Amino acid sequence: MSQFLQATVYGLLQGCIFGLVAVGFSLVWGVMNVVNLAHGAFVLMGAYMAFELNQAVGLDPFLGVLPAAAAMFAIGYLIQRGLVNLVVNAPIFITLLLTFGLELLLVNGMLIVFTADYRSIPTDYAAHSITLPGEVHVPVGRLIAAALAVALTVGLSWFVRRTRTGMAILATGMDRGAARLMGISARHVYALTFGLAAALAGAAGAAVGSVTTFSPADAGRFTLFSFVAAVLGGLGNTYGALLGGLVLGVFQAWGGQLLPGTLVNAVAFGALVVILAVRPQGLAGRAFYASRVEV
Amino acid sequence: MRTRTLAGAVVAALVLAGGSACGSKGDAGGGSDTGNGKLILGASLSLTGSLAKEGALTKEGYQLCQDVVNGKGGVPVGGKKLNLEIQYQDDTSKPDTAGQLVDQFNDKGIKLILGPYGSATTEAAAAVIERNGQVMADAAGADDKIFQKGYRRTFAVLSPANQYAASMIQAIYDLAQPRPTTIAFVSADDGFSKTVTKAGVKKATDMGLTVVGEEYVPNGATDVSSALTKIKPKNPDVIIGSVHLAEGVAIVKQAKELGVVPKIFAETVAPPTPDFAQSLGAAAEGVLGSTQWTDKTAGSDKWFGSAKDYAATFAKMFNGREAEYHNAEATAACLALALAAEKAGSTDPNKVRDALAALDEQSFFGPLKFNDVGQNVTKKMGVIQIQGGKPVPVWPTDSAGAQMKYPGAAA
Amino acid sequence: MTDVKTDERTTGTPGTRAGAVRALLRGTPENAGLRQAIGWGIGLLVLIGAFGLQTQLYTGQVRTVSTVFMFVGLAAAWNLIGGYTGYACFGQVGFFGLGAYSTAILMVHAHVSFWLSMAVATVIAALFAALVGWPLLRLKGHYFAVATLGVAEALREVVINLPKLTGGGAGITIPTFGPDAPTPWLGNDGFYVLFLILAAVAVAVGGVVAVSRGGYALRGIHQDEDAAAAMGVNTTRAKTLTFAGSAALTGAIGAAYAFQQTTLFPVRPFDVNITVLMVVMVVLGGSGTVAGPVIGAVAVAYGQEWLRQHITTGHALVLGAVIILAVVFMPQGFVNYASDAARTGRLSLLDNVRRYRL
Repeated sequence: MSQFLQATVYGLLQGCIFGLVAVGFSLVWGVMNVVNLAHGAFVLMGAYMAFELNQAVGLDPFLGVLPAAAAMFAIGYLIQRGLVNLVVNAPIFITLLLTFGLELLLVNGMLIVFTADYRSIPTDYAAHSITLPGEVHVPVGRLIAAALAVALTVGLSWFVRRTRTGMAILATGMDRGAARLMGISARHVYALTFGLAAALAGAAGAAVGSVTTFSPADAGRFTLFSFVAAVLGGLGNTYGALLGGLVLGVFQAWGGQLLPGTLVNAVAFGALVVILAVRPQGLAGRAFYASRVEV
Repeated sequence: MRTRTLAGAVVAALVLAGGSACGSKGDAGGGSDTGNGKLILGASLSLTGSLAKEGALTKEGYQLCQDVVNGKGGVPVGGKKLNLEIQYQDDTSKPDTAGQLVDQFNDKGIKLILGPYGSATTEAAAAVIERNGQVMADAAGADDKIFQKGYRRTFAVLSPANQYAASMIQAIYDLAQPRPTTIAFVSADDGFSKTVTKAGVKKATDMGLTVVGEEYVPNGATDVSSALTKIKPKNPDVIIGSVHLAEGVAIVKQAKELGVVPKIFAETVAPPTPDFAQSLGAAAEGVLGSTQWTDKTAGSDKWFGSAKDYAATFAKMFNGREAEYHNAEATAACLALALAAEKAGSTDPNKVRDALAALDEQSFFGPLKFNDVGQNVTKKMGVIQIQGGKPVPVWPTDSAGAQMKYPGAAA
Repeated sequence: MTDVKTDERTTGTPGTRAGAVRALLRGTPENAGLRQAIGWGIGLLVLIGAFGLQTQLYTGQVRTVSTVFMFVGLAAAWNLIGGYTGYACFGQVGFFGLGAYSTAILMVHAHVSFWLSMAVATVIAALFAALVGWPLLRLKGHYFAVATLGVAEALREVVINLPKLTGGGAGITIPTFGPDAPTPWLGNDGFYVLFLILAAVAVAVGGVVAVSRGGYALRGIHQDEDAAAAMGVNTTRAKTLTFAGSAALTGAIGAAYAFQQTTLFPVRPFDVNITVLMVVMVVLGGSGTVAGPVIGAVAVAYGQEWLRQHITTGHALVLGAVIILAVVFMPQGFVNYASDAARTGRLSLLDNVRRYRL
């Protein structure tokens, strides 16, 4: 029983990390209908930034979240404004290909600059665990990452509903033409959204870097799990990614206990296909976002 | 009208096709890789992709071999001195690309090949080598399955996969006081790791240890928590990981998080690499690892001297970095080809192949001698332990640098 | 939509030879039959040329060109469902791997000859697509893409977890010589011909679809599915048939791939990068056209190979940059760009950017 409880708790924490990584991806998809295949690369860039800061000045990676996010925001804004905005009106998969090319560029650039060494940002406290009654261990590092995930999701929710800029983003996501008629600069708002998503990815990278090892080859994996979490949770809601991540994490944990360990990924993808077949808008998404083809 | 045009077109195509499908030009002329006093070797390596890090380590080993051999005047082959030239191509860590690259080397007349990194890519390359009549010195493909297919042109300088876990179990049996009784395995599910695990389970059972768990995780996983959670209630004394670097780090890290505390961890492949100790920090202390080579390995040769000399040469060439076994096994493969070419007195692939099969030499890497399927079974593996953040050889005791600490896991 | 300047520069003086040529290039309802015949003729010439090319290549180059043909076939097959119908399947590699592993399993465990295995693998892939398409073809846009991606990934995980049947992570090897082998290995030259024929069949199917009523139905579905349904097109049947056909072709190519590689590991035959490459090739070449996938596949496959040989470190980086540039400056694909340019006389690439940017 305690084994099952431990697996569930660990799965929830892992799920929060999935959600943390996926929240930026879900934002971009929901607002701009752009599937950003380079999302995993952004996460890695955040991780490497936190790593370099840690090496250079000994900055704790969870504090390194802030500079990583700020730097990634600038990079994301520029990429959207200068590059992705150029193909927004093109057929739907052009943006997909653009982000694919971007991913190749970024990942291989990181491979050349940082080499393929596996890295991690060890801190003395991250591997310690708090022991709850019932022999359930809660690792401190993952707990902080999970708290960060919740905080960022809540913060994003507040930003989108309570500030003018946030509402501009929502509006542009619903109907770009109408938003422009209202005087919103769609170019700027799109760039802002992408920058925000990149910042969230960078923050996730810094947190993830202290919890697991990473190398440039991991970018694809981050993107793939962001896909699954975003779709499971559903688009059109800021907390969709977190919800999807939690479901994914718990499913994987339970699957890992009941089935042989190698089936864990099969469980994740099987769940994805079933949910899409039965309820395409995901658990908490809005049906409108599931049926639109163009923004 | 359209159907008739179509039918006529198809018939015409078939007729012409039958006439022109007479095959390609064949090889671009073989055995000409001496040209201008050079001994050209082909190497298809994973310079990008999931095995990029290990591919880079292998490339360093090959580069060092080339520099040292050429610095000493080159390989004497049949009265002439030939300089080594290694041509690299990137197989992007994919087995089918590796096979294609070996074919492309064959085209250019390059018949002597240095192996890629990893058992999957080596297996793909070995199939092509056999077909084309090339010869391969295998640096990093240890899976026994490669050598159970009847190939006669691939020679592995490294000890086979079945030794990886078995050597660590033997070391623990010999040196750990009080002797542990229970053992659990966490294994990646690729071919190499599975071979290691199966052999390890057999060895453990033969030595009288009880195997309380055998859990498999997806290859490349950074989350092995489900395997560890299943093992935890069984309280094994020893946890053996037949894994690669990502899973290896995850096992130690997550075991600490989950409160799984065996008396000692022992892992394949990961602990001797520098990234392991760097990623884990203090948690890496006391972890055992099996290794193909340490700087205390016995044996020496005329090109590289002893193991210690090799380590010094490596440090000089690569900014003081410590050589580890992935570098050494690569250099050893290159050395094997050079020695074989020298012995054969020619670069003809068949003569080199026969010279390799008959090779029986000592080297900085240990003995180089192949059995009739091409594996180097005379060479023994060593066991290291991370002490003070560095891998230190602890077994066999005659080439040990320090005593094995047991219990090894940080409490 | 660019406006067509109706002056003599583009329409030409009627009755003159130059005018007839321009009319041919532009395409009018009168010369449609002639245009199609010319199209088939060009295709035939290319095919013959490809056969002849084989005699000029060395063995390693033969293997490289075989891979190019494989991608031509894959791109043409994807074009059916992704280009004409507009349902971008991101799990296409799932059918590839399914065909490959079916063939391997039949040859290893049941000692079936390669040709029969390939036929069975094709049918298996088609049936699987029809089965999976029944719930998934109801989805649109990115959701369809992600769902099919999930199916491909799930297939790979299933293959890894049936080690007795598929060898799991350790791979499966088809015996190719000796008494165990159901069919002797075809040789690099043999596989060249096999992949060329498969590619030709895939392109020919695309060609037939392009001019047939079925093809018009697919294009209708792409542009406005509800309107097509209102016009009486049975959209479910059309989509499912196309999906199954595309999967069948992909599965057959996968079968040939399995035999060529002889040893299969689960990662590569189900690699999502193969699907993305297919999409890149079709889109850059011109999706929804017959020649587009061919041109795109040859350009990208050959370009990738050339880069890999000449820029050993950083070839993927350059490829990424090239893809970005190509997508920004020619998003409609080369074939569409060329036919637009022939029709309107406008060659400016910056026009493309102005048309599609925000």
